[in-house]
Parts: sequence; C-alpha cells; structure tokens
Amino acid sequence: MGLTYLEKFRDPSLAKNLVTAIHKESRLTLRLMEVCGTHTMAIFRHGIRNILPETITLLSGPGCPVCVTAQKDIDAFVAVSRQPDVIVTTFGDLMRVPGSGTTLAGQKGAGADVRMVYSVFDAVTIARQNPEKQVVFCAVGFETTIPTIAAAVLMAAKEKVTNFSIYGANKLTPPALAALMTTPGVSIDGFILPGHVSVITGVDAYRSVFETHKVPSVITGFEPIDILHAVLMLVRQNESGVPALENAYPRAVRESGNPKAREVMHQVFTVGDAAWRGIGLIKNSGMELKPDFKAFDAGAQFELNLTDVAEPKGCACGEILMGLKTPVACALYKKVCTPMTPVGPCMVSSEGACAAYYNYG
Amino acid sequence: MNAETNNTILLDHGAGGKASHALFSKMILPLFSNEYLDMGDDGAVYSVPAGRMAFSTDSYVVDPIFFNGGNIGDLAVNGTVNDIAMCGAIPLYISVGLIIEEGLPINDFQEIIKSMATAADRAGVKIVTGDTKVVPRGKADKIFINTSGVGMIPEGVNVSGSRALPGDKIILSGTMADHGIAILTAREGLTFDGDLKTDSAPLNHMVKMILSSGCEVHVLRDPTRGGVGTTLNEIASQSGVGMTLFEKDLPIKKPVNGVCELLGFDPLYIANEGKLLAIVPEKQASKVLDLIKADTFGKNAAIIGEVTDQRPGKVFLETAIGGQRLVDMLTGEQLPRIC
Repeated sequence: MGLTYLEKFRDPSLAKNLVTAIHKESRLTLRLMEVCGTHTMAIFRHGIRNILPETITLLSGPGCPVCVTAQKDIDAFVAVSRQPDVIVTTFGDLMRVPGSGTTLAGQKGAGADVRMVYSVFDAVTIARQNPEKQVVFCAVGFETTIPTIAAAVLMAAKEKVTNFSIYGANKLTPPALAALMTTPGVSIDGFILPGHVSVITGVDAYRSVFETHKVPSVITGFEPIDILHAVLMLVRQNESGVPALENAYPRAVRESGNPKAREVMHQVFTVGDAAWRGIGLIKNSGMELKPDFKAFDAGAQFELNLTDVAEPKGCACGEILMGLKTPVACALYKKVCTPMTPVGPCMVSSEGACAAYYNYG
Repeated sequence: MNAETNNTILLDHGAGGKASHALFSKMILPLFSNEYLDMGDDGAVYSVPAGRMAFSTDSYVVDPIFFNGGNIGDLAVNGTVNDIAMCGAIPLYISVGLIIEEGLPINDFQEIIKSMATAADRAGVKIVTGDTKVVPRGKADKIFINTSGVGMIPEGVNVSGSRALPGDKIILSGTMADHGIAILTAREGLTFDGDLKTDSAPLNHMVKMILSSGCEVHVLRDPTRGGVGTTLNEIASQSGVGMTLFEKDLPIKKPVNGVCELLGFDPLYIANEGKLLAIVPEKQASKVLDLIKADTFGKNAAIIGEVTDQRPGKVFLETAIGGQRLVDMLTGEQLPRIC
C-alpha cells in the first residue's frame, strides 16, 4: 500500500467529519470492544479515545496474540530453548513475554540460541543452514499468521527439512468471541472486528456468532478513518436498534475471505481446544497439527516436564480481556505491573490493553 | 603468511611488536596525521585557551559495520563530534580506541579508517591520540570503536537539558528515524523500496552557526538511541516542564515511515545520528529554524512542538486527527509485531 493512499485514511478533515457525526448521533451509552491488539494500538496511537463523546467507552478484547499466549506455552518455549542443540525462532514481540519464570529474551541472555525472525520461512531457512541443530518455531498468533505457518510446514515436508518443527500455540478468533458472549457479566454493545484476521476468515466466519448473539459488529482496518468509520457504524446500528454484521474494510476483506489460505491452514492443522492466558480453556479455539504432520510437532519431540503454575494473584487481565474491567481498575497496574516488569498478559505486549494505557496515557 | 602480507587482522597486530607498529605507521598514521598524533607519544599534549571545556565519550558497536550511507568509522567520529557540539562547544580533538576481532579483513579495516579520517576532516577535528587492541576471534564482533573528545565552549554560551522553559519552541533539524531504519533493514536483510540511508553527519558547523548568530538557545540535544521521544522525555524531566508535539509537523521520509508502519515501530523512538533538537525562546524560533535550514544537514528542519507548564516531565502528542496521546520514554527495545 503506497503512503499517499494511506494518508487518505488519516485525513484530518475527514476524521473531523466522522467525529462530528459520532457526537451528533450518539445518544445511548455504548461499550464497544476492539477485539484486535493492533486496533488497540491504533486507537491509542492516534488519540481516538479522547475525541469520542462520553457516551462511548472503548474496551480492549482478547485479540493480542502475544497477550493471550498461555503462561504454560511460554514456559514450554523457554524449556525448549534450554534443550541441547536447539535453535528457538520467534516473532519479535514474544521475546519479552514472561512465563511463570523467565522470558525468551532472558534465555538468550543466559546463552540459549534464540533468534528473532520476521517470517516463519526464515525459521525454515535457519533449519536448512543448521542441519545439526533442531530449529523450533514458536507458533503464536491468530488466523493472520496460521496460513503462513502451515505453508512453512508444507515447505519443510516437501523439501525434507526434518530438523524444523513448530511448538503450536495458535488461536482462532470467532470461538473466542462466542466464549466472550456466554461469559456471565460481559456486556458489549458492539464489536470492532479485526481487519487482518478477516482477510483470511472473511465476513462469513463471524456469522454464526452474530446470529446467536445479535451484537452489532463491524470489520474494519487500522487507520484512524477506518476505526472512526466503524465506531459511527456501530453507533448507527445501536441507535436504530438494528444490529448487523458489516464490512467496513472492503478494500481488503471479502465475504468469503481467502479460501486458498484457509485450505492450506486446514491441510496442516485441525481444530482443537486452547488455553488462553487470563481467560482459561476455550473449546475449539486452537489449532493442532494433523497426524500426517506430527513429525513437525516440537511438543512431541522434547521431554519438557512442565508443571502448571497458577497465574499471578491480583492480576485482572482476564477481566480486562473480556471487557469487565479497564486497566486502571487493576490493583497491580502501574504499581508492580509495568512494561519493564509485566505481571499479566495485557502488559507483556505493546498491543496489550494495559501496555497501551501505560505507554499512551 | 605473516602479519605484513596477510589480508586479515591477526593477533600479532595487537601484540605491540613490529606488526602493531606497521599497522599504525602504514595504515593509520598516514590517514590521521596531524602535529599531535605524529609525535608518537602516549598521549596528546596541546594548549587550550582559557574558558570552559566540554568532554564527551561514546562507544560504537553497531551491527552491521557497513550500512547504506556510512559505516562504524564515520559514525564513531560524527557521534562524539555531535555530543561535544550539543554541549554548546566547538569540538577540537578526539581520541580513537579500536578493539578489533582477529580475522577482520584488512580491506574492511582500511575502509573504516579512511571514513574516520574523512569524517574528522569534514567536522574540522583532529584525531590526536588512540589505541588499537586485537582480541581473539569470537571475543568481539568484527570491530568496536570508542571515541572521546574535547571542545571549547564560547563565552556566553549556556545550553543544557535543564534550561527548557514554558513557551519555548522545539525544533528538529530534519527527518526522524533515518539511521535506525537503515541499520535495521541492513542487519535483518530486509529490502524495501526507497533509499533507506543513515543520516550520520557532523552537526558542529550547524551548532556553531546557531550559537554565533546571537540567538538565545536553551537546549541542544542529538536524539540518538531512543529517538526524539525518549530524548524529549529526558529534557522534560531535567527541566521540570511539559511538552506538546504536533504530529502533523513531524518530518519523516515516506519510505522510512512505510517501514515503521509495516513493522509496527513508532518513529519517535528510532535512532537518529545526524539530527539535533534545539529548544529556543519563541521569539527566536523562526530565525533559528532559518539558520538550521541553511545548513547542509538541516534542510528538512521543522518546529515540531512547544514547551508548556502543564504536566511537568510529560511529553504529549497532538495527533493529526485531533486526538492526544502520551509520548512516554521508550521501554526496552522496540520489537517487530506479529501481525
């Protein structure tokens, strides 16, 4: 995408018109949840919260892939990095996420071979270059990243790169929304749905959740104009009393999404249960390697002897991820829990709600 | 194969014997030559005029050592020249400490030394003393350089991070994040459209021009590691003032902004190596801005914000769409996002 094109989605006069319309049309008190961590970041980075009327509260949902990676999975990544002759490869923002003990960055400092990659294919390349080592990729993220991870597994299988494997902790978005809506006390008047995930899933993936719960829902992109447009659409749906599932990101998202990407994804993975940090187990919200690809399952290759360690006391991340609390209502926020000493998942990634509140005020 | 004919740096080159002497006398001295270094003593002896002196030191361990627009050598000279200049001083003499890893190609070493000599000439400083050590392979990463330097502060000049006052304007001398993005893309082998080049440059001539113009300047600082955002936080804290920046006025090259967008980096926190922040009284701001713009390295300068008496120690950004957000100090290293 060229910057000139991008700039149109940051146009101050267009933003002003949208904000004016939101102020004019918003009468009901609304709690709108941005599901995606990148939306959380964009909302803070562009100062969107403080230009909206007092009637609208924006809540951050369980959509930061790093934040929702279970403590036990982080412990597993760390445990793998302690194995002999292993290279652990990871996306950058996972490096500083604490498990029950240390982080991958801490392990790197202690001498483990932990490498930050920009793509899962870099991990396959590292495996080719280091045939005497086991190269493990920490597979985290939602539908946006799962197809590329699946494609990398297919590539490794085809090229017989047998020293490449993944430790799977991927997650699916629609089941999390469904779980959220059936949680007692959760009250959400509208979902700002993730743009990049929807490029893969399409609009159709949210239909059953929408039909069941009838929560106004808008898929949108990550520029300020995209987000303000989605807020206006959600205001209009609420004011008119006619909830809908709408696509405000047609330049990237189709009704059926990207079937080819999903085909690759399901060729390699099957749906399974997944543990979400701060929330717990959500049925059918994860991905497991199919039997044909078990050779690429790092979890089966190492004796890690992991124990369940309770999540930190006093941490309100679970409630924050479900919109039951805001970060400032957490007893640990800014006192013992900071980006330098994160306690809970919402502070561990720059996309987490607590980190965004902390960094952008 | 001996040290004289070998095409890589050997431990012999740091052993203090003939090979060390040859490295210095044949490769380093001809390029750095000046009346102080030529003396061959253990240190430089020079006369200084009466007045106040600034002294600064910095170490350079950048990876990769060669990148688009420069290398570790000119970076090391420009960096210390700029640190001295930001004290309001005119840099005069610098020292160079080289720690070289065994196996560094001689050609690479020569290129680095040449660029240091060129950078010193361009800045008008003399490399008057130095030291070379060679460490076994694996004990350093190719080459590390320390540069220290001194400069004299002209009479009447008083710049410090503690002198920002409410009402002052904040000037940035050009586009943000050029160096950090050039290094990152070179290090990670990322290829993007557009010329992603370091902005490494000496700023002492620009500073001299500003200070000799008679304009009052409260603060000068080069926003290197941590970028503009972190540097302004430091100044806000030192001076006990608040700051407001205006997103629409922040200069940034489109290709650099594009890389930041793609990787989820905030350009406010990315390193610069040829930019300065000048905090000046409002009545002087347009004159200082014109002076900076007249300099080779200041063409894209802009007034990017102002100092306030609100929320001391905090820096806020008025976003392009009319919102406001905190620009806090950078927490650790920025890491690329998953998606």
